[in-house]
Amino acid sequence: MGAVSAARWRPRLTVIAVLAMWCSSRAGAQSESATTTGIVIVTGQQATTPVPTLMEGAANSVGNQDVADQLFLRLAEMGPKLLTAGDRDFVPALARSWTRRDSTTLVFEIDPRARWHDGVPVTARDVIFTFKRAKNPDLAPRVSELLRQITSVTAEGESRVVFRFARAYAEQFYDATYHVAPIPAHLLDSIPSDSVSRSSFAASPVGSGPYRWVRSVPGQFVELAAVPDFFLGRPKIERVILRTAVEPSARLNLLLSGQADAMDIIPPPSVGRVASDTTLRLIAVPSSTMGYLLFNQRDPKNRARPHSILADSRVRRAITLGLERNQLVQAVFGSHGMVPYGPVSQLLWIRHRSPRAGGPNVSEARRLLAATGWGDSDADGTLDREGRPLRLVLSLPNTSGIRRQMALLIQEQLRRIGVQIEIQQLEFPIYLERRSAGDFDVDFSSVNQDPSPSGLTQSWGCTGGNNVAGYCDRGVDSVMEQAIGGRGDPGEKWIEALTKIEQDAAATFLYAPAFMYAVNRRFRGVTITPQSAWLSLRKWSVSPVPIVGRSH
Amino acid sequence: MTAILQLLQSAWRNPRGRTGALLLAIVAIAALVGPWLLPDPLAQPDILAGGLPPGPGHPFGTDQLSRDVLARVVNGARISLGVSVLAVALSVTLGAAVGVVSGYWGGAIDAALMRLVDGALAIPRLFILLLVLAVWERVPVLALILIIGATGWFATSRLVRGEVLRIREEGYVQAAEALGARRRRIIFRHLLPNALGPLLVAATLGVGDVILLEAGLSFLGLGIQPPTPSWGSMILDSREVMVSAPWAGIFPGLAIVITVLSANLFGDALRDAVDPRSA
Amino acid sequence: MGGWLLRRALQAVATLVVAIVLLFVLMRAAPGDPLFRLSADRPISQKEIEVLRARYGLDQPVGRQLLAFVGGLARGDLGVSIEYGRPVTSLLVERLPATMLLGGSVLLLNFTVGLWLGVRQAVRRGAREDRWLTTLSLTGYAMPSFWLGLVLAWLVGVEWRLLPAAGMQDPLLSSDAGVLARAGDVLRHLVLPVLTLSVVSIAATMRYQRAAMLEVLHLPYIVTARAKGLSERVVTWRHAWRNALFPVITLFGLWLPILVTGSVFVEAVFAWPGLGSLAAGAVGARDYPLLMGASLLVAALVVAGGFLTDVTYALLDPRVRIG
Repeated sequence: MGAVSAARWRPRLTVIAVLAMWCSSRAGAQSESATTTGIVIVTGQQATTPVPTLMEGAANSVGNQDVADQLFLRLAEMGPKLLTAGDRDFVPALARSWTRRDSTTLVFEIDPRARWHDGVPVTARDVIFTFKRAKNPDLAPRVSELLRQITSVTAEGESRVVFRFARAYAEQFYDATYHVAPIPAHLLDSIPSDSVSRSSFAASPVGSGPYRWVRSVPGQFVELAAVPDFFLGRPKIERVILRTAVEPSARLNLLLSGQADAMDIIPPPSVGRVASDTTLRLIAVPSSTMGYLLFNQRDPKNRARPHSILADSRVRRAITLGLERNQLVQAVFGSHGMVPYGPVSQLLWIRHRSPRAGGPNVSEARRLLAATGWGDSDADGTLDREGRPLRLVLSLPNTSGIRRQMALLIQEQLRRIGVQIEIQQLEFPIYLERRSAGDFDVDFSSVNQDPSPSGLTQSWGCTGGNNVAGYCDRGVDSVMEQAIGGRGDPGEKWIEALTKIEQDAAATFLYAPAFMYAVNRRFRGVTITPQSAWLSLRKWSVSPVPIVGRSH
Repeated sequence: MTAILQLLQSAWRNPRGRTGALLLAIVAIAALVGPWLLPDPLAQPDILAGGLPPGPGHPFGTDQLSRDVLARVVNGARISLGVSVLAVALSVTLGAAVGVVSGYWGGAIDAALMRLVDGALAIPRLFILLLVLAVWERVPVLALILIIGATGWFATSRLVRGEVLRIREEGYVQAAEALGARRRRIIFRHLLPNALGPLLVAATLGVGDVILLEAGLSFLGLGIQPPTPSWGSMILDSREVMVSAPWAGIFPGLAIVITVLSANLFGDALRDAVDPRSA
Repeated sequence: MGGWLLRRALQAVATLVVAIVLLFVLMRAAPGDPLFRLSADRPISQKEIEVLRARYGLDQPVGRQLLAFVGGLARGDLGVSIEYGRPVTSLLVERLPATMLLGGSVLLLNFTVGLWLGVRQAVRRGAREDRWLTTLSLTGYAMPSFWLGLVLAWLVGVEWRLLPAAGMQDPLLSSDAGVLARAGDVLRHLVLPVLTLSVVSIAATMRYQRAAMLEVLHLPYIVTARAKGLSERVVTWRHAWRNALFPVITLFGLWLPILVTGSVFVEAVFAWPGLGSLAAGAVGARDYPLLMGASLLVAALVVAGGFLTDVTYALLDPRVRIG
């Protein structure tokens, strides 16, 4: 009998124990949120090595960059206009002032109040050390390539740093300040450069920024804490948690269930749902993304020969004119999308000076196609010429919901002018492989651009590393050279290059969106910097009204 | 033949079996006839007004590309039922063939075949499918059916072999052989008909399993490719809009549940008819 | 017994070796390599590719790479993850507990609730309760776990806000919160993922256990036990149940790999920081070392599961050892 009643009590005990844990965890969470101010930001990638000069290869990720931007302060930050030419739009950060000595020399004065998180002052030696590591191509191939125009970085005294450049060009200041933030020499010079990524420093980085490293819980979140005596003003938000969820639906769920306060890049179809949540504020942020249809001008099977259909610029222009790009952008991005003029995302400053993108012209498109010999001889709706149909394969990766959606709309639109599009969704690595090999008809490309327009040479210059379609126009090359060199007005030169690319119809430029970010309304003074979402976090504040529980 | 009819009748008498059969019939009819009565599942009439909730004109609502969800679910039924019925037919045929050969011929053939079956049964079916499909990029539907069918016959072969062995014990096979009957006649007149009951059960239950399998593969992007509506790929697409247009993901899932459930209800009732001890 | 055990163990090791080679070859055969992902939206220079190829050991021929991997394996070194830049072993060790917690909870529920319900059904065979439970279990069995997870996360987590929609812990939990509070926090986060995986598995367990018990309940020695006057409860739980355990042990051997694959979906949907989400990320990034390490671990678990199942059978039933 005793054994039987014990058996009956076991399940009841379990239930009581579970309830006890439940209540205590709720109590724990409540008391916590009432005392310190914190923000939970949901991200898609966890920070693994958020240290400048170590963010190479797979470590060059948004996840790492976001955390590194809080831990490490740059010499100067970009201003709201994101103007990368000259120095007028930059704001002092680690450097409190600068002067230009001659056309190839810049001198920075480091702010004497700047400190590393362990209290040691930031000196010129740190900057020298940083650039020595950053310019080593075996250690940091990506960054050293970006810094190739810098010939030497030397110190004059404790706080003065002198940068010398190979030649005079418009973006010297940008190159000196944007690509890499200084790292502490006194903590790293004793560690051999190839073992830093496995050192204790990398596991718990020490920087000069407004937030310091607290801990990382694998696969879950990274926690940062405000630096109380940060020389540019103590951050009002005490704790910053960057919470990782790889799956986009999980990220949205975290935001909408109240488990997170902020999220970047809300997928466009869900913007409406987030907007209906009154605790969240939606902010439109210009994005570095730009999507376009890249026409392969060479035969995918034999790169020496021109493409049988797309080598003719009139066909390419017809496709551009046959697409109703505004409708495409509206359908996918709502009111915050833009049709770009040339390969320019909303992040590049040159977009403010470029003309508006042209609209559709279906009759002109039809005329151009007819003029190049395409007619519908078998009346099946698809144009043909010499027995061959006007059929093109549109390649895209299966990871991009936006491109998947748009591809279907494009297919429908082009069907109306007699162009048959076959959509080929590929697994991401296969897609990339084919793209770099030039094995495609039309590639649905999407790039994330750096703030500097000089990146355009990679895709649109004759010898550009990313120029997989074989587009080459010497005139465009030379104009881009002049713009980079800073001869004349760089803005004007860039617009000239863009105009020529548009006229050549090298690609159909589809979208340059602004993405919606969401931030809980209890945060005040919120601004989001387009080049790196949470850079201005240290200036935000929290409303004094206490939070009533965590709403779950 | 009459044995089969008897089995079906007793399964029908079972209330759960009846429910399952009726539901299956509804799904099958919808799959056959529905696509003609409903709008085009690929059409995107009004892309700017996607994600409409269920209402007049769209009983299941629309997804974010303004495609009618009901039309897509019904078309998905065609694909899911088609793939599963064909794959199961293949599995059952292969399983029966191997089972008969193994049970009747015995000896070294039997030992070798059963070793193979044991080895194959040790590896989860999903693993095998994932490995094969990961290397082979985009499989055409026919290849998908073949691959799924070819990985599903192992347990059936064991079952049939068991039946064959049992029947051999009962003596009339030996009697037939003594009378000089040809092997083929024995197989098709005596062995197979007795195994038909368990085969039918395996087939019905197998349909449910394959529907779930195909949905899982499509969800991973390895099975049926978009924009062809498959229940699994519909759920995949609905992930991003679960919060704003949940109907786009809920209905395909419900369709899977109802179809698989009805197949299992009917299969269970059949099994009870074949082997009353387990009822 | 010893001889049989040795043979079985060698068989397990051999299977593992074959699995390693197969996985290695398959991964290299699949198109795409780790570096191509990097050139996705930023142009990548030739120099960068060279340096990275050398760093990740990709410039060696495949045979050499395999040998290097096996050599490292012998030393207990699974290489360095390309994505994380840290040793694979430490990554696996970090993420294993979360998956064990998830899988363990599901198995626990299976072997308590699932078994109990199955036995109950068998004992009350034909009653209304039995019929309803059968329908319920068939319904549960018909649910795709990935769909159930998505619906539960949305409905219970976002719309109703009853339970956390994702994650394993609340990051804002105070650092001086007690063990009880922490455990309760994890428990709350555990409910939905476990529920998602349990619905299907418990349904299957119930069905198998019911069928197994029914087989046993008709056996002569049970009839004898009843005739001897033993109470129903004793007959059920002390005599019949032990024999019905066999199919369930088989189930355990089968469920282990299914749990692992199912947990990949569930860990993704609920942002559960386990091996499943680690492996899923590694697949997309073609992070070879991490992928090999994770697959190896899974293969080892599956093989070990099968081995343990066989050993348990052998212990319970001497006839198996001879066969």
